[in-house]
Formats: sequence, structure tokens, C-alpha cells
Amino acid sequence: MSQVNRELHIPEPPASMKRARFLGTAAAIGSVVLLIIVFLTMNLPSWERVLTGLERTLPPLWRGFSNPDVGTFPLAFNSMLETFYMAVLGTILGGVLAFGLSFLAARNLLGGTVQAMPGKALLVAIRTFPEILLAIIFVAAVGPGATAGIMAMGIHSIGFLGKIFSDVIEGIDPGPMEAIKASGGNQLHVFFYAVVPQVLPEFASYLLYRFEINLRAATILGLVGAGGIGGPLIQRLQFRRWDEISMMLIVIIAFIIIVDAISSRIRRNLV
Amino acid sequence: MPESPQHPSAPEVGSEARSTIPAPPAGGRIKALLGLVIAALLIGISFDQTSFNLPALFSGAADFWSFLGRLAPDWSYLPAIWGPLIETLQIAYVGTFLGTVLAMPLIFLASANTSLDPISMWIARTLLTILRSIPDLLWAALLVPILVVGPLPGAIALTFFTIGILAKLGSETVEAIDPGPLEALRATGAGRNAQIMFAVVPQVAATMVSYILYSFEINVRASVIIGLVGAGGIGFLLQVRLNFFDYSAVGLIIIVIFAVVLLIDGISVWARSKLI
Repeated sequence: MSQVNRELHIPEPPASMKRARFLGTAAAIGSVVLLIIVFLTMNLPSWERVLTGLERTLPPLWRGFSNPDVGTFPLAFNSMLETFYMAVLGTILGGVLAFGLSFLAARNLLGGTVQAMPGKALLVAIRTFPEILLAIIFVAAVGPGATAGIMAMGIHSIGFLGKIFSDVIEGIDPGPMEAIKASGGNQLHVFFYAVVPQVLPEFASYLLYRFEINLRAATILGLVGAGGIGGPLIQRLQFRRWDEISMMLIVIIAFIIIVDAISSRIRRNLV
Repeated sequence: MPESPQHPSAPEVGSEARSTIPAPPAGGRIKALLGLVIAALLIGISFDQTSFNLPALFSGAADFWSFLGRLAPDWSYLPAIWGPLIETLQIAYVGTFLGTVLAMPLIFLASANTSLDPISMWIARTLLTILRSIPDLLWAALLVPILVVGPLPGAIALTFFTIGILAKLGSETVEAIDPGPLEALRATGAGRNAQIMFAVVPQVAATMVSYILYSFEINVRASVIIGLVGAGGIGFLLQVRLNFFDYSAVGLIIIVIFAVVLLIDGISVWARSKLI
């Protein structure tokens, strides 16, 4: 009797745990099986082709990357600066347009979920439409250059900013709005003295965050002719000038890391 | 005479009443003003340097609409799209899978509460920062000349990209866990792997699955466009049709891409809402 009592008793895991484990295992096996099917049906090149390709490209690539071309620095820096300016204007354009739209997608300002639906649907549509396709359309319509890229970024940013802005507006404290209404203020007073002061810091913070995203996006818009560092970069990629490519990559990465650091510092102080 | 002391006191009462409305704090105002000035300067310089031309855009609006008219889709082209579309989804799947597998060790190396030592944590974090500062399309453009043109560089590009986002999101989640179970296991003398397996993984599993779905969503979006630089999928078809100025096919491809992205987004958002 005492022998039995002294035996260590490890309790069975609860049923929900067992079920989660079973589902997890099933999902893992299922995704591996799917990977094998995808690999078998995918149009992949033969290993020999990949390996001979690597043998041919890797030595010059290594030489170029271990010795970045200093002469490319001015070009890389200047086109990165243009990229930066494009991101500034694209973000501002998106911010201004989203500012207007966000009030048309905020439930608490429109008085209900149904009234906010068209605005919200429009924002989803804009957010899902790939930016680079917008850039292609604008390049074809207004010609190659920074303007096409800025337009594409501006329009695409509306989707993200409009959604975030309307979320911010829906989350404001209704107290000040009611106070101004109670003291006889009209809709315009409510908007300027109760809504705007509450949302402005968060708007500014998200605008900066979107700017960080747009700076990354702006580096690739040049691949379709929409201005910025992507244009000179894709030319050099076609000729495999790895020493110049590596210099441009260093400039891109350094620029993005520095701007990210500054921007996130400002954002921390804002909210 | 008795009026004189009262008279000057009257405006005093008024000024006292007025002074009960406090002036807004000065520090915030000055900072906000400074921020506005800097922003305005930056915008001005940007306008100047990019020669961004808003009026020309409005005058070109007519051209723009007529161009959009030429994008009217040619539906007879639809059967030619399915093959590249499936390849696009294959690229997104392979990229997400390989990226997820490779991100796992990096997540634990980059998290302060599970890392081996400060040096390997710093290396892992720097690697992730660099991975994330290169956009998906740029990864594809870099890999196409190295690997053979087609879906392979696309899948590898998305793998790198996935590692960057997933490991960042993952290590943030791992750092936010309840430290109790971790300390309990440490106290029993469990090894590092056992600690991660039984104290960390159960706490983050659901969130991680949600993040994996999220990166699949992002990868579908990326996989439709990386073909523009030769990395396979429907974007490659788009590039070819663009080069031929075959705008009715381009219009159709854009519509199909939009529909697929919308569909995958919807499914993924629904699945994620079920998870957490």
C-alpha cells in the first residue's frame, strides 16, 4: 500500500493539449507532403544547370562583393537621396489623401458600421493592389521618372494609412466631443477641437512608420522605370557589375538602417 | 469716493476669470512648430529635387484615362494565365516553408531570453536587420543572375525575405513570454533545448502559426510581382506582355493578380482570426 503511494504520479496532459498536439503534428506532416508535391510539379532547373551556373557566377560575385567600387559611391548616394525624396513625397501624398478618406471609414464619426462600409472596402481594395503594378500603370501613363513612382507610392499608402487612421479615430475618447457639443459647438468645432488634437500625434507616428516602409519600396520602383536607385541598380544587374552593385547595396542598407533608427526614435517621443 | 476702490477692481475680476483658462504648455507648441518647419523644408526640397509635377499630372489626366481604357481586359487570354498563376503560388509556398524552417533557430538566437550569448545574439540580430532592409523584389533581382531564370531564384528570394520578417516578429513574441515556466524548467536543471521546447514553444505556437500565415499572405503578394525581374510566375508573363505593349492582356493579368491577392488575404485573415 505505502509502496504504491510513494510511486511518482505524472498526470496525463489535458485533452485540449492532446488535441492541439495532434492538430500541430497533422499540420506539420501535411505541409511537408504539400512541399514535396510542389517540388515535384514545379518547373525547377536541373541540379547540374544550377551548379554550373553557380560555378560561373559565384567567383566574380565574390570578387565584386569583397571589393566594392568606391567610384560608384557618388552615383549611389545621389540616387539614394532621390529615392529618399520620393519616399517623402509619396508618404505626404498618401497621408493627405488618407486623412480625408479615414473620416469616411470611421464608424464613430459616421454613426454606424454600415455607413463606414464603403470607405473600408475602398481602403481594402487599395491596400491589396500591388504597388509595383500601380508604378507600371503610372510609368505607362505619365512617362518614366520619379513622378510615376511618387504617385504609385502615394496611392498605395492610402490603403494602409487610411485603415490605421480610421482605427485611431474609432479609438478616441468621446468625452471631449460630447463636451464641445454640450457647450454649443457645431460639427466643425467638434472636429477641430476634439478629434484632431487627439489623433494628431498618432497620425504623425504612423506617417513616419509608413515612411520607413515607403523608403524600402522606393528603392525597387526604379526596376520598372519609376525613379530612384532601382533604375541604375537594375542596369548594373543586367551586366553583372558586382563591384558596383555591392557599393549600391551598401548605400541602400546603410541609408535604410540610419533612417529607420532616426524615425523610430522620433516615433517613440511622439506617442 | 466709495466708488473709486470698487471701480478699478471690476476689471480685476474679469482678468481673474479669464486667467482661469490655462495657456497651453509652451514646450509642446515649440516642438510641434519645429517639427512642422522641418517637415515643410523636407517636402520643399523633395519637390525641388524630384521635379515632381502635380499640375502636369492633372493636365495629363486625360491621357491617363485613355490609357486605362486601353487596359480593358481581353478575357480570351485567360486560359494562358493559369499555368503561371499556379507557379506563382508554388513560389510563395516554397519561400514561406523554407523561410519558416530557417527562421526558427534565428528566432531563439535573436531573443534576449533564449539566446546563447550576447555575441551570437548580436550577430543574429544584425543578420536579420540586413535581411529586412532589402525588399523582396530586390532580392529577386539579385538572385536571378546567380541562379537560373525562373521560379528557383523567386523561391529563394522569398525565403530570405520570410526569414527577415518572421524571425523579427517571432523574437518579439518570444521576448514577451511569461518568464515563469522558463525559470521553472531552468530550476529543474533542464537543458537549453528542453527549456525552449517545453517553456517557450507552447507559449508562442499559436501566435507563430498566425505569423506564418501572415508571411504567406505577404509572399503571395510578392510572388505575383517578382516575375517582373525574371523570377518566374505570373509577373514574368506580365513583363513579357508589357514588352509587347499588349495592354489588353496586361489589364487581364492585373485583374487576376488583384483577385488572387484579395482571395488569399481573405482566407488568411479568416484563418488567423480562428487561431487567436
